[in-house]
Amino acid sequence: MTNPASERNLDSLMLGGDIRLEELVDREALGEMVASFYELFRVPLRIFNDEGLILADASEQHALFTYLNTFRNGRRALSEVVDSVKNINPGVDGEATHRCLTGSVYQVTSISYDGRRIGRMILGPFLPPLLDEAPRAVLELDPAIDAAKVKHLMAEMPRAREDTVARIARHLKSALTLILFSGHKALLTSNMHLAAVRESYRELEQKNAHLQEAFDRLKELDRLKSNFLATVSHELRTPLTSIIGYSEMLAEGIAGDLTGEQGEFVATIREKGEQLLELIKGLLDLSKLESGTMSLRKASIDVGPIVEDVAQTVTPTARKKGVQIEVDIDRGLPLLWADADRLRQVLLNLTENAIKFTPEKGRVTLSLGHTLMEAPDADGEALVLLPNRRPALELRVADTGIGIPETERQRVFDAFYQVDSSSTREQGGTGLGLSIVKRLVDGHAGTVHIEDNTPHGAVFVVTIPCRRATLS
Amino acid sequence: MQLDFAARELTIKLVYYGPALSGKTTNLQALHKAADPSASGRLMTLETRDDRTLFFDLLPLTFRDAGGLAVRLKVFTVPGQVIHASTRRLVVQGADGIAFIADSQIQETQHNAESFMDLKENLKSNGLTLKRMPLVIQFNKRDLAGIRKDDEIARLAAQGREPTYLAVATRGDGVVESFIGLLHLTWSALDAEHDLNRKFGFDSDAFLAQVARSLGQTRPVSELLGDCVGGALDVLRPEAVP
Repeated sequence: MTNPASERNLDSLMLGGDIRLEELVDREALGEMVASFYELFRVPLRIFNDEGLILADASEQHALFTYLNTFRNGRRALSEVVDSVKNINPGVDGEATHRCLTGSVYQVTSISYDGRRIGRMILGPFLPPLLDEAPRAVLELDPAIDAAKVKHLMAEMPRAREDTVARIARHLKSALTLILFSGHKALLTSNMHLAAVRESYRELEQKNAHLQEAFDRLKELDRLKSNFLATVSHELRTPLTSIIGYSEMLAEGIAGDLTGEQGEFVATIREKGEQLLELIKGLLDLSKLESGTMSLRKASIDVGPIVEDVAQTVTPTARKKGVQIEVDIDRGLPLLWADADRLRQVLLNLTENAIKFTPEKGRVTLSLGHTLMEAPDADGEALVLLPNRRPALELRVADTGIGIPETERQRVFDAFYQVDSSSTREQGGTGLGLSIVKRLVDGHAGTVHIEDNTPHGAVFVVTIPCRRATLS
Repeated sequence: MQLDFAARELTIKLVYYGPALSGKTTNLQALHKAADPSASGRLMTLETRDDRTLFFDLLPLTFRDAGGLAVRLKVFTVPGQVIHASTRRLVVQGADGIAFIADSQIQETQHNAESFMDLKENLKSNGLTLKRMPLVIQFNKRDLAGIRKDDEIARLAAQGREPTYLAVATRGDGVVESFIGLLHLTWSALDAEHDLNRKFGFDSDAFLAQVARSLGQTRPVSELLGDCVGGALDVLRPEAVP
């Protein structure tokens, strides 16, 4: 996995291999505990790890030892004592005592965890209660040693019974064992936590890589699909143009007069051919828009006349259906930097749609006004430096039809999506119009959304920023 | 398995696996309760406030055979909850034997199966295979209503390779039996692979008997092992594993 070294660590931690005393206890806290022990019992206490490194020490050199250290032989004898105490092996879980030439005692107790010794604690030196006279071994170190002084200093040494100290050591050890257990638990928990997080991260990374791969593949497929659509649309258009052209010629009687029924059939062929052509054009537009190959021919344009033109274009259809068209254009609007043909296509599409879904005696209103829109490129950075709102034109196409439920308002802009497919059969339509609208508006850095029209119906609102615009 | 020749120490990792709330921790608690204090360390549980296992439980058991070899058994549980998948994978790493604790209730059948598939997956991602993993199955919670019938379990277990035990871990019933079965199987597999008995002059029968005694059992090991309702207690030699 990601980090083999630390995982081996976790494994060995879990199995209890090479646990070190200093890993399980806080050294400073151990020092405080040892100091408070010393304050309570006045018996020096030192704690070592298993390699003999001192971890905590509460002791001060007693005046007796300071005195003996002033003699060469005394110094040598005392350093031998220190060495032998250091080398006492109390076993994995045992205890041992050592008596030095002054008669004072060291109690050595092993500190073990999980069946292994990980350190030792050494209590002492202390003197048994009844020892008053200077031992001969001390006086024999050097003739200059003053027996009276030694006796006097011995009286100041900490006094304790050996079995009492052993009992204290055992209590101290059991308290320490609890601390070690808690320490081990905390150590394991934190290591396990880290390892688990790392493992989850690794898993997520792997999944992300898979997702990215799948995404890339889908993107490639999408590109292929767009290419395919473009090619097929082109290939379909060519023969279709001939079908329409020849049926037109037939209808005009170029190939001879047609009977009434023949004329009707030819008219149907032409009409359906035109419908098919519209669909193919839509597909072509969509694939061009999707593949980003449609180029917009932008210029400074006045949108008002376009709105009026579209209203005029749809008036015959609207009249046939008994739907009223209204136009409302504000005065003094700025010019728009846009592709006039494409903008007209947007508006025409929305208006035709509106008429399609508006019942008899209904009304479709086209309005054009001035507004402000959020700067889409602000991106949350240094907002204070940027004009966060900029002038825009708002095109509204309101109908009094069945309206579009809130939940559908995003999805209607997806290609081939229809709110209610049964209405399509009734009303006709390819399901491409709105997705083309959306993409064309996107191409103008604009937005399109749907609002409610009170009391009923929908309003399609197109907002396009007036980049490079000047007031007319 | 970790082997320290110098210290004559052998550490074996046993893992209790199974679906959430099937009684893995309860098994360890029962083992801990049954164990002689000289053999058992403190039971370490890393659990959340609602008593669900967070990372794992760990029961250390240490035995010393007559020849002075120290066998340290580290018995782990995994957290059963689905969200702890990564922790389960980490705990099962390097396992020498696995006890699968299944919930006997009929409604838990699906969870047992899912957890078993999860075990297989996790072994695989650790480079282990179930075929070579000593595994015993324990059907726990035999005292509840709505459980799969004894004869049904026995019939199915007889068709499988894994020794299968019945237990009520809350009462300690069947817990030591399952454990001895697991230890027997694990030791046999390790011995087959590493020739431990010969290398250490180790008497594995006497060792199992010692462990059983330390866990408060007075019955002979053969009888404890015989409590399994199906499966095989003899281990395939590694070379026989396809």
